Amino acid sequence: MSKDQITKNQFFRQVPGNIASDMDGEKVMLNIQQGKYYNLGELGGEIWELMKTPISMEKLVTTLLSQYDVEPNECEEQVTTFLNQLLEEDLILIEEQS
Amino acid sequence: MIETVIKTAYKAFGLTVLSEIALPELPTVQMKNGIYDILVEKKDLTTLWSTQKGKDDYFVINEEFILFRMPDIAIFLIQNGNRILVSPAQNTNEDQLRLYILGTCMGAILIQRKILPLHGSAIAIDGKVYAIVGDSGAGKSTLASAFLNRDYQLLSDDVIPITVNEENIPIVIPAYPQQKLWLESLNHFGMTSTNYQPIAERKTKFAVPIQSQFAAQRLPLAGVFELVKTEKEEVEIQPIENLERFYTLYNHTYRNFFIVDSGLMEWHFNTTAKIINKTKLFKISRPLSRFTAYELTDLILTTLNMEEKAHE
Repeated sequence: MSKDQITKNQFFRQVPGNIASDMDGEKVMLNIQQGKYYNLGELGGEIWELMKTPISMEKLVTTLLSQYDVEPNECEEQVTTFLNQLLEEDLILIEEQS
Repeated sequence: MIETVIKTAYKAFGLTVLSEIALPELPTVQMKNGIYDILVEKKDLTTLWSTQKGKDDYFVINEEFILFRMPDIAIFLIQNGNRILVSPAQNTNEDQLRLYILGTCMGAILIQRKILPLHGSAIAIDGKVYAIVGDSGAGKSTLASAFLNRDYQLLSDDVIPITVNEENIPIVIPAYPQQKLWLESLNHFGMTSTNYQPIAERKTKFAVPIQSQFAAQRLPLAGVFELVKTEKEEVEIQPIENLERFYTLYNHTYRNFFIVDSGLMEWHFNTTAKIINKTKLFKISRPLSRFTAYELTDLILTTLNMEEKAHE
């Protein structure tokens, strides 16, 4: 999935069965079924929390822009990369909503 | 006919164990007002086993209990973190029975009580505890023994119970005053094997009682050293970092296959995260070609010294 494939109707949410904790101030996560650990980092942890309930790409970016001093383009790019990684690992899923 | 069952109270892993099976490895205690933490009793579990046993030939693990059967030894049931029922097989060997009660059963009890058991030896250095973990035969007990010969104290030589206090500091609870050493290690340390009791079936491993050098106090855990064998000639130490630390702590959790099926993976994850936040983890490579226990002792002490200086 590339950046332009994400549409306004797509909502992202966490796949259940993953639990988060804190390691040296960064968000770390465990997939209980696979026994696999992930380091989401500080910003990744924020994004992860926002996906507890389905959220659109647009809403994610605007929320982050209001909290962090970052360029909109750069922010969107980083969020896209991060979401793609999570999708690849089956940690989040996409819901189509209109 | 009236049968009288005599039960004795012992202290192990910071808990009072009331047992009808004699556990001579453990120090006895006086029970206060008849209060104990764990009850060890004999009970026929053959019917329970035949109805419960599923696809696994040895273990039944769920959120309610852990049930396991060791052929020709016994069936064991561990419940609520406070009860061990033992159903001995005919002509079972008492030494074998105790090995499982003090090992796998107590490991299950600790996990059910949400006390994290690491598999290894724990030594006290300057009021802090360092855990030496590693696979079977990695040299954990031998290294611990080298520390004892240098007048450091031992908190555990097999199962290291860890709790996290209100300040999120991991605390090690002393296990019981005994070491298990291979014949080869006894020889290296100039100890005579005929002075010690061989451990059931393992004619080359011996139980060595520790008295004055047993640390009876709970102390904070400050570091974990993972011992691995190497074909190389030199001893080597390197920090374990990032997520690798979670795998190290999971791999060296005693009887870690109990955790998921007991529904305790979230607890284990959160507990190891807290341990990681307060401790340093290192991997130590031990050459197979020679006896390195004292070399490793020096290496660990030097590393801890350097760490301390770096923080000043």
